[in-house]
Amino acid sequence: MFPSSSQKKSWIFSNEQELSKQRENANKAFIQRHVQRIQYLGDEEKSQYFLSPNEERMLVKFYEVKMRDFCRRFTPEMPKVVIGTAFHYLKRFYLNNSVMDYHPKEMLITCVYLACKVEEFNVSIKQFVGNVKGDLEKATDIILNNELLLMQQLNYQLTIHNPFRPIEGLLIDLKVRSHLRDPDRLRPSIDDFLDKLWLTDACLLYSPAQIALAAILHSASKNQENLDAYVTQTLLDKNNGSQYLKDLIEAVRKIRTFLVKNVEPPTRDQVKRIEKRLEVCRNEETNPDSEVYKQKLQEMLYEDD
Amino acid sequence: MDNYKLIEHIGNGAHGHVLKGLNVKTNEEVALKRIHLKKKGNDIPISVLREIKILLTIESEYVMELFDYISHDCSVVLIFEFMPTGLWEVLHDLDDPPSIPHIKSYMIMLLKGVTYLHENGIMHRDLKPANLLISNNGILKIADLGLSRTLWSPEENGRTYTHQVATRWYRAPELLYGSRHYDQSVDLWAVGCIFAEMINKTALFPGENDIEQLAMVLHNLGTPTNQSWPSLKDLPDYNKITFPPSKGKLFEELVPDADSTCINLIKSFIRYDGSKRLPARKAISHAYFYQQPLPCLEQQMPRPDQNHRTKIKQQLRRNSKFDLNLDELFCLLNE
Repeated sequence: MFPSSSQKKSWIFSNEQELSKQRENANKAFIQRHVQRIQYLGDEEKSQYFLSPNEERMLVKFYEVKMRDFCRRFTPEMPKVVIGTAFHYLKRFYLNNSVMDYHPKEMLITCVYLACKVEEFNVSIKQFVGNVKGDLEKATDIILNNELLLMQQLNYQLTIHNPFRPIEGLLIDLKVRSHLRDPDRLRPSIDDFLDKLWLTDACLLYSPAQIALAAILHSASKNQENLDAYVTQTLLDKNNGSQYLKDLIEAVRKIRTFLVKNVEPPTRDQVKRIEKRLEVCRNEETNPDSEVYKQKLQEMLYEDD
Repeated sequence: MDNYKLIEHIGNGAHGHVLKGLNVKTNEEVALKRIHLKKKGNDIPISVLREIKILLTIESEYVMELFDYISHDCSVVLIFEFMPTGLWEVLHDLDDPPSIPHIKSYMIMLLKGVTYLHENGIMHRDLKPANLLISNNGILKIADLGLSRTLWSPEENGRTYTHQVATRWYRAPELLYGSRHYDQSVDLWAVGCIFAEMINKTALFPGENDIEQLAMVLHNLGTPTNQSWPSLKDLPDYNKITFPPSKGKLFEELVPDADSTCINLIKSFIRYDGSKRLPARKAISHAYFYQQPLPCLEQQMPRPDQNHRTKIKQQLRRNSKFDLNLDELFCLLNE
């Protein structure tokens, strides 16, 4: 149940400032750990050496789009819950971690892989990396090496409450208790809405049921329908629902505005520039291509034996 | 890990060692179960993910709850309440066998735990006396959810489960016939076996291998008919093996010490047709629990000795004619 879930307790934040704060802290923590690297640089270079929180954010956003495309192309076709869960994982991960430690292109496939398993979409690792472009062996290594880290960073809280079930529930309710003709016709623009919403922070700020309602209302208005009466008179208790109604309308309004202001991902050029600097400031100990990393991994596995 | 001091090794679980420890801050005794998350070059097994997922959501008095968890290298250490003994030990304690009121009370606690799991869409799949632990207060709790998994929601009915689950003696016949579409009722069969075992003090169907297990069930319950088991013909291994026809035995022979109400309850779990097995919630209101002698009140349940587990192990070792190594013995029994 969502009300007693770790999602509600630990992964829903009260506003966007709180999210920015967390991300800034992750950025700051990285810089503090690596500050000796820039001690001999001039002031100008110093300020340019590490990525800013905003640049980190842009990079993650760019790879969120990549993740969506990867999931869409995946064969066999991937259930929607897997995609939703993978997005939650990626977003949670970068609340407390810096891209300078873990490159989003590596984390995104790890998130999708873990989401496949958690949502019981059974694909073998071999089948999975068959969907990755490029070096399959390297992709396998990246997933196997990062899976544990990801799970720890998620604090083992793997259960995700996605908006898909509440959407189904609301559609059934619309069929039973509203005058809306053929509610199933809302589906295409509901899917479209969610597709875009995954690229925003909505799932870190609102409950799956609120997101579901926003998707339904959005789709209704796209279809020239009005469900206000259904929400105020049928869905909520007429007598004591008024305060709740105000909050709900506010939440729905905010979720819908996310789409307008938040979707634009950075351009390829912007990303190229950021990635070039990332090559310099990246933590070599967590870069799978570096010698330091390979050595450390060897040691860890050796200890394990 | 600094918060906990390790005391001793208790046993081996499905995924790794179980240790007894002390929370140095609260002075509480705890059980620490280390789960290896991965082996070199492998990914994290899906069974481990399932267990973690389920453990993090459980909130029931009759199911082992997770107190805390800590990352430790390639493993995670799960911290549970320390349980001094279990139903397996209680049933093997020849000096102090459980009375009928105690059995009734254990049974109700088991049913409440199973009700909680089933109503939250979780099937345990490996219920057996060794997985039913007993707390310092004498409360029975379902443990070791290593095999449990959440049920597919109805719209996803097409998917299948592995049939190699559940310790053999408690395995429902549809699993023995290779079913991959089973449901929560496999737990209810196990509940019936455990119940009969509490009365008999010995396992109801102790098969030595899977074939013998099935043969034993069919011999005792009688060859299934189209009426007693309509879906039998559809099971994968149905045509692979046939058994001599049997009329079956009376439950009065299988559980000689039981009265008619008790037999009625056992019978309502031990049925071929899973859909006819009595759901756990309904079983709690069965007449058996409302007739004399009444179930013992929870607060009056016997408090187990701190070293009950060790005592039973020693007893068994003394009684054992064979020079079996203790670990081997437990491996065999827990299998």
